Amino acid sequence: MERFVELLIAAILLAGLYATMAYGLGLIYGVLRIVNLNHGGIIMAGAYAGWWMHSQLGIDPYLSLVPVAAAGFVLGMVIYLLLVKRLPRGAAGGVQSLLLLFGVWLVLRNVAYLMFSGNDQTLRTSYATRALDVHGVLISVNRLAVFGVALLILAFLHLLLTRTYLGKAIRAVAQNPDSCTLVGIPVERIYALTFGLGTALAAAAGLLGAALVPFSPSFGASELLKSFVVVVLGGLGSVAGTALAALILALVEVFAILVLPAYLTAAVGFVLLVLVLVLRPGGLFGQRVLG
Amino acid sequence: MPNYRPVLFLCALAVAACKQQSSPNGAGAPQAGGASTQAAAPSGNEILIGATLPLTGSESRTGGFYKEGYELAFEEANQKCGIDVGGKKMQVRLTLLDDTSAQATAASLADRLINSDKVQFLLGTYATNLVEAQSVVAEQNAIPYVNGGGAATAIYKRGYKWVFGLLAPVELLAESIMKWVDTEQQAGKLPKPATIALLWENTSHGKDFRKGVTEWADKTKNYKVVVDESFELAGKDFSALLGQVKAAKADLFLADAHLPDYITMQRQYVTAGLCNKVQSYGARGAEKQAAESLGKKNVEYILSAVWWSALLAEKNPEAKKFVDLFKAKYGGRSPEWYQALGYETARALFTAITQAGSTDREQVKQKLAALKIPSLLPGGELTFPAEFGQQTHAPFVVQQNLPDGTAPIVAPPDSATGKGTAPNPNCAK
Amino acid sequence: MKLRWPTWVRPRAAIGLLVVCAALAMGPLLHDNIYWHNQLTLTFLGIAAALAWNWLGGYLGQVSFGHAAMFGVGGFAAAQAQIHLHVPMVPAWIAGGVLAGLFALIWGHPTLRLRGPYFSIATIGVGEATRLVCTYWDAFTGGSSGLSLPMQQNLKHQLYWYGIALAAVALAGSYALRRSPLGLSLLAIKSDVDAAGDVGVSSTRLQDLVLFLSGGMIGICGGFYASYFSYIEPGNMFGFDRSISWVLTGVIGGIGTIAGPAFGAVVFVLLQQSLIASYPQLYLGLYGMLLVLVILFEPLGLTGLALRVLHRARPDLSVTGVAGED
Repeated sequence: MERFVELLIAAILLAGLYATMAYGLGLIYGVLRIVNLNHGGIIMAGAYAGWWMHSQLGIDPYLSLVPVAAAGFVLGMVIYLLLVKRLPRGAAGGVQSLLLLFGVWLVLRNVAYLMFSGNDQTLRTSYATRALDVHGVLISVNRLAVFGVALLILAFLHLLLTRTYLGKAIRAVAQNPDSCTLVGIPVERIYALTFGLGTALAAAAGLLGAALVPFSPSFGASELLKSFVVVVLGGLGSVAGTALAALILALVEVFAILVLPAYLTAAVGFVLLVLVLVLRPGGLFGQRVLG
Repeated sequence: MPNYRPVLFLCALAVAACKQQSSPNGAGAPQAGGASTQAAAPSGNEILIGATLPLTGSESRTGGFYKEGYELAFEEANQKCGIDVGGKKMQVRLTLLDDTSAQATAASLADRLINSDKVQFLLGTYATNLVEAQSVVAEQNAIPYVNGGGAATAIYKRGYKWVFGLLAPVELLAESIMKWVDTEQQAGKLPKPATIALLWENTSHGKDFRKGVTEWADKTKNYKVVVDESFELAGKDFSALLGQVKAAKADLFLADAHLPDYITMQRQYVTAGLCNKVQSYGARGAEKQAAESLGKKNVEYILSAVWWSALLAEKNPEAKKFVDLFKAKYGGRSPEWYQALGYETARALFTAITQAGSTDREQVKQKLAALKIPSLLPGGELTFPAEFGQQTHAPFVVQQNLPDGTAPIVAPPDSATGKGTAPNPNCAK
Repeated sequence: MKLRWPTWVRPRAAIGLLVVCAALAMGPLLHDNIYWHNQLTLTFLGIAAALAWNWLGGYLGQVSFGHAAMFGVGGFAAAQAQIHLHVPMVPAWIAGGVLAGLFALIWGHPTLRLRGPYFSIATIGVGEATRLVCTYWDAFTGGSSGLSLPMQQNLKHQLYWYGIALAAVALAGSYALRRSPLGLSLLAIKSDVDAAGDVGVSSTRLQDLVLFLSGGMIGICGGFYASYFSYIEPGNMFGFDRSISWVLTGVIGGIGTIAGPAFGAVVFVLLQQSLIASYPQLYLGLYGMLLVLVILFEPLGLTGLALRVLHRARPDLSVTGVAGED
């Protein structure tokens, strides 16, 4: 029983991180219909940004969340305006945007490599190994904090999308861009802002990841894939959907150890991705997946 | 970043200091390493030795350390006006290329060094899979390949005659730890039989570590492996796996992991309140970076077994010579096993050339096969026994992190600088 | 007996290929630079693999980021056949190729229903899952220790000519797949799979065929690689970086064209050679930039660039069909 509770808690904490990572990807896809293959690169950049601020300026990672997210926002807008904007929107641009952003990811990886070398970096904080004792079950303070921040971000997003003009505009553009132009919503500007917002979320997720594990320029690849699973499963436009999908993924991954050798639990996410795409292609993405 | 060529510069200086005729290729050295337009045929006074190292890529940190070792050896040899070859002094020149931790690149570069740059001998790279790939090229081209970077026994079981390894197999690493645990068990400090939770990264290194532990357990019958799981590199969350370990309530926790996984796992281990009577992460543990990343308190009493430690200088004169030489060149910094192995690898080759009295590959190979010299390695001697496929089986030094921040050698007894503690006193609470 | 060429084969193309192959085959008689001899062998391998990838990625428009899965399956199967069953080299390659092709069908058949980016994402998942499972599967791949093939003294040198043959077969296959009536059907599927079905193109069967051929050829390349290096291990064979390299050579060379990826592969090797000494870590970033530039400005990559230049120089020359433009 105790083991079950431990695994459950581990899954819940992990789900928070997954949800934060996935939301940026889902937002960009939902509104622009672009699969951001650079997502992993931004996660890695966010991790390095947080680490740099901690090791050079001594700022605690949770405090540097806002500046890192802001930097991510700016970077996202720049990428959009300089590169993505030039692509045709819609299905025709599908693979091209994929490849374009993939190219950007490779460049980011190399830049990180040149700036910080390929060595693994660790963000060491004083509370990294502290644990909270809750009824005999020990919970890592660090992971709990990451979970807490993930909840805050999701709450913030929910409020943004439902209560503010910008949020409503974003949702409108996601539903029907042409109609939006008719009612005077600056669609291009919304696209740019959304891309920036999605990138900011990815950067924040990267920072949170850095607080937990060591990373290197190749950080972000498996996070990208997990984000895909969450997005395809849970869909977009709904914070609850993403959160639920993230929880499902985390539960499957964590509890897989009861039936699989530990090494193969790493493959669970990938297999789930392929299964979800093949069996539930309609999902919440609509018919777009099947073309 | 310009590729390395400082040895060349020093060589030129040394040559001038020795008032010898410098070779026509001497100081005009290639700035870009190994560009094949540069005349690669060795001049009469020079021995051209080739090597690749992972100077960039995932193993770049270690590659850089090996480079320091190689450079030190070459510098030392050239400062004495070169090595003695049949009565004549010949300078040694290293052509070092970056294999970016990629197997195909390592093999292709070896090809290039041999066939384009026309090196006479090869020193090895670091990382078992790279060495395994590169050694094929060496064997195909019948050129002596001396390496301190490939530990897997598989490399040496192929019946190759031109490949020589200074890195003892990882199975022995596991055995060294088990031997120390054995002595503690005999002394009654640990239960008999003792249970083992064994976690290993799914790489060649991890597999061999596991093999060493399980074979020892089978052989001595005093141990029972209750958890035996491998894990993928760069894991983000080991809590499920550690939960299994916790449930098993094992006496010994033996893991084999790369540095980042060690850090992640140990963090979660400590956070989960786990504490086993004996804990080890294979070759990790005594590394400074680990203590910095985890905090001194969280690495206490961790056992590690490595191929060499600077503490050997206390009892091993060759080791002391090396440590002094290294500190002199690198501003008082203490070397780790990477630099020592790099240095010793080059030195082994130089010694064999001197013994052969010529740069003929066949003769040098024979001398390498028969080599038996005092060495900085634990055990004090370097040989390449034919029964092990020409891989050294030098013992490992087992160290334990103590609360005061030191990590004395606790085994083997003839190199020991301190006494180990088992079971872990922190677990008593 | 009169030889009958199929009507879609341009005699000039066939003769051109034969001449180039003959020239390359005789090359080693003129020089004795072993290093370049071996590098060329690897280049031929790269050409064959890039072309094979292009059949799926360019002709069908389904960009795969997981082709290393088939490379690994083919390579390990061929290696196992040679080590344990003592199958001679070329049959072992073919056996590996068939196995790889079948494996491609297993995961590809259901997945090919997905269009565009979804297929690509799924392939990343397939590639990584295959890597993990095969690394775990000790009996097939030797686990993380890998497999060592018995070393044969002159094999590496001879592989040069095998490499020419491999690349030639791949090139001929590319030409055939594009220029034959089959190629027209593939074009139709690429543009609009439903409409193609409406006009009687059996898209599922054709997609499966291309999948099998593409995966199979890459599998044969895996076997070749194993024979060349005499040592393979799963982390290297199934690596994501390896899959990426074919995406890069294919897109930068000219995705969907007949020979574009071959140019991409050659450029890849040349760049690697020139950077390898001074800036070895830069070339992934360089490729990333090239990729971005290609996507933004010249969708047909180097081939497109060459065609533009050619058209500028000789506007009268008809070059349709070479690039297989839509």
